[in-house]
Amino acid sequence: MKRKIAILLTVAMGIASLAACGGDGDKTSGGESDKGQASTSGGNEEATRDGKKEITFWHYMSEDKEGKYVMEAVDEFNNSQDEIYVNAQYLPREELMKQYSIGVVSGELPDCGMVDNPDHNSYASMGVFEDITDLYDSWDEADFLEGSLNSCKYEDKLYGIPWGNNCLGLFYDKDMLEAAGVEVPTTWSELEAACEQLSKDDVKGLAISAIGNEEGTFQFMPWLLSAGGDINNLSSDSSKEAVTYLKNLMDKGYIGKECVNWTQADAEKQFASGQAAMMINGPWQFSGLKDDAPDKNYGVAKVPKADDGDYASVLGGENVAICKGADVESSWTFLTYMTNKENSPKICKEIGRFSPRADVDVQEMFKDDPLNSVFADLMPQAQSRGPSPKWPEISAAIYTAEQEVFTGQKDVDTAMADAQAKVDGINESLK
Amino acid sequence: MRKGHLTMRQKNIILNCIAILIAAIFLFPIYWIIINSFKLDGEIFASVPTLWPKEVTLQAYKDQIANLASPLKNSVIIAFGSMALSLCFSIPAGYGLARFKIKGSKFFILIFLVTQMLPASLVLTPLFLIFSKLGMLNTYFAPILSTATISIPFTILLLRPNFLNMPKELEDSALIDGCNPFTSFIRIAIPISKPAVITGACFSFVMAWNDLAYSMTFNTKATMRPMTAAIYNFMNQYGTKWNSIMAYGVLLILPTCIIFVTMQKHIVSGLVSGSVKG
Amino acid sequence: MNSKREKRERVMGYCFILPAVVYMLIFIGYPIVYNWIISFQDVTATTLGSSARDFLGFDNYRAVFGDPTFPRAVKQTFFYTIFCLIFQFVLGFLFAMFFSKNFSFSKPIRGFIVISWMLPITVTALVFKFMFAEGNGIINTILLELHLIKEPIGWLIQEKTAMWGLIIANSWVGIPFNMLLLTTGLNNISTDVYEAASIDGANVFQRFARITLPLLKPTIMSVLVLGFVYTFKVFDLVYVMTGGGPVDATEVMSTYSYKLSFQLFHFGEGAAVANVLFVCLFLVALLYLKTISKDEVI
Repeated sequence: MKRKIAILLTVAMGIASLAACGGDGDKTSGGESDKGQASTSGGNEEATRDGKKEITFWHYMSEDKEGKYVMEAVDEFNNSQDEIYVNAQYLPREELMKQYSIGVVSGELPDCGMVDNPDHNSYASMGVFEDITDLYDSWDEADFLEGSLNSCKYEDKLYGIPWGNNCLGLFYDKDMLEAAGVEVPTTWSELEAACEQLSKDDVKGLAISAIGNEEGTFQFMPWLLSAGGDINNLSSDSSKEAVTYLKNLMDKGYIGKECVNWTQADAEKQFASGQAAMMINGPWQFSGLKDDAPDKNYGVAKVPKADDGDYASVLGGENVAICKGADVESSWTFLTYMTNKENSPKICKEIGRFSPRADVDVQEMFKDDPLNSVFADLMPQAQSRGPSPKWPEISAAIYTAEQEVFTGQKDVDTAMADAQAKVDGINESLK
Repeated sequence: MRKGHLTMRQKNIILNCIAILIAAIFLFPIYWIIINSFKLDGEIFASVPTLWPKEVTLQAYKDQIANLASPLKNSVIIAFGSMALSLCFSIPAGYGLARFKIKGSKFFILIFLVTQMLPASLVLTPLFLIFSKLGMLNTYFAPILSTATISIPFTILLLRPNFLNMPKELEDSALIDGCNPFTSFIRIAIPISKPAVITGACFSFVMAWNDLAYSMTFNTKATMRPMTAAIYNFMNQYGTKWNSIMAYGVLLILPTCIIFVTMQKHIVSGLVSGSVKG
Repeated sequence: MNSKREKRERVMGYCFILPAVVYMLIFIGYPIVYNWIISFQDVTATTLGSSARDFLGFDNYRAVFGDPTFPRAVKQTFFYTIFCLIFQFVLGFLFAMFFSKNFSFSKPIRGFIVISWMLPITVTALVFKFMFAEGNGIINTILLELHLIKEPIGWLIQEKTAMWGLIIANSWVGIPFNMLLLTTGLNNISTDVYEAASIDGANVFQRFARITLPLLKPTIMSVLVLGFVYTFKVFDLVYVMTGGGPVDATEVMSTYSYKLSFQLFHFGEGAAVANVLFVCLFLVALLYLKTISKDEVI
């Protein structure tokens, strides 16, 4: 009996020591984890955080492009006062949106963060953000464009501040157009004719993004609106015309079929490397183009309009908001610093956005800049997506229909009718 | 007789040539990963791909250096952690199943066989909820604990036949010398089975290193992601920068390739016993 | 004395084995049970934190079965699995037969081919995605060069071809596995049997049909069942190569479950899909256990 116990004890000890060796591995990894988090918390090492309140700020400006300027602005803020240290963290857009959804319950939310403006309403309805109506009303620099401010509202309460606006235009390679003897297209027929001249074996006429996420919808909207289509009437002839037109360009080989996998950043790479003579993209690509193709001789024009339609542009951009349960006071100080009259136009210009402030005249600001002025002129008419607390689902219906047509799974009529049925269902559920 | 000998030689040459051809075609994707990681952006975007880079460059690696440090560190920690954990459980179990006559040993073997066949996607949702309740999301614990579930049954099944083939006399004499079963396991059984244990360690390491599903789901924070998840996220953003993606890929396949080349014989035979033999 | 020793031995045995069994029960067994519970509850991003979740009955299952994507995912999972099995089994068999011939490089080259099974699936998926690219993918370039196709095929971006792209990539991973197991089986067939047959005047095909196949039958059964299970549960490959797209042309059960749980945060529905997957696998696993308990060949 005694021996039995002795054996049992030995084995137990043995297993415990084995488990301890496993535990050791875990322990070191735990230690590493803390170190890892400290060392990767943004590229702003020079600012010290001793004795300062630390808050985190999530953004999705890619680190190698516009993100650099966001970091600079954050560093500037950190050095400008000794109360608050902002730890800025970059997450890709899709990832960031996912983190907000899951963060509500897992508690992994930052103090403040950036949000794509069409999605703001939906996240506000889920309870991700703090109501800042009162803070905003007491801010002496509270002066923003109404359209942009509306995207921050949910049920008449304000859940954020507009950060930067943008919209889409047609980028074209001047040298390629000249070589092909083509004028800058302004209408759909001109665009098709231009593509015919520009598309060769190894060069596509036009690069777009038709990816299965918000970017795909964003890129599709100018075509839809210019044709007279409507997100609440996707099965109308005008709405279908927009998809049919793009599908036709694709079938003729003017637009690469891979565009269903391309983000807007991928479209930029195609244009920068000369694989596409034109692209649909926004002003935030200027800094990337400068790095990728410094010698490129390119211009920007409005997205061509339907032959019997008008130019259309869609409001893109970001808002910033304070998350539930965060350090509201410090976050508010930081966010108002980034969006005040002095800093907003400066930061926006660097990251290829337009200040959403009503007291900043962007047309005047860029009147001598041939590239930015095109976008600046388009801004006032730009239509917003939503606002709707179910925008992500509406958007999914739209990009899915586009992808179904582009990848040959459904014909235009079926795809658009199905999309409309989904949108009807969503609208019904909101009542 | 002489003629027959010659045809044997000819046959040998022909078969070898066919074999090399098969291997060349079959292993082409690996060549393609490596070679494209040395190309410049311009060549990657060119409409006709080149079989050999016009200019061999490390640019893609340099571009990624800054993004690599933290995923690489995470991958190493997760893979080693999971390996250690897996060995702590699987070596004794493999030994126990081989050495002791116990009721239900067949049943246990079946359990390990079946759990090995279960997909990660089956337990992803419940494990996510459990880990989130325990506050273990975005720590190293979640991927280490979950990836060990892939390697533990595999390693047990791989080690058991090895312990079975071990001469029992050695241990018996050790027992007479005053060793208890536990010390004889540590002092005799493990050292004798070193090659098999190392093979098991390699498999455990590779299985955790290769994992995407668990790590990506439980560690959503960029700073806690391993290489597999980082490369996937990179692809989502820059889906056409294939040189950078392949540079990541080379670093990801490197440990696997090194382990494979140095231990090929053990790996190949271990693969068979680990995945099927009861 | 003897029975005492036996008893002691049993206790020792359990001490060695049980930790691993308990570990697997905690991290695999319990989650499987928990998955069934979740699938009957209202678990979404908004209810995730609260301890009292509403019991929904079969609502999650109803929602999933009502979604047109689900039957599609089931159909596609089977389509994918069956064609992968055919490809990797046939090629694996051919490879096994070829490399079991006696020539100087047979073993090293056979060993090398196995590496495709060991690589991280993420990287395999990425390189195949790259090779299948429409514009400048190497596969299109070669096919165009050989005049087998007139214009580039959008392999992974067209509904009709996307699944085939996945099947080819998965077969690349699966071939060595099939080859190895079949090689082991082939090696177990004694050469005497063949010699006797060739004396009887049987030709190559007769020998294959009358001797190799029947003797290999148990091995073949295990290979097919294991291949089925490993292919059926595919996740990484599909998730990285196509993400279930274009639209949902390559959605399989595991990616669909993942999408429901971790992109839409309908955890209950994700769990329901995973359970359907579990039932399918369980049935196949039973079949497998029956075959291995019948003949203990492999």
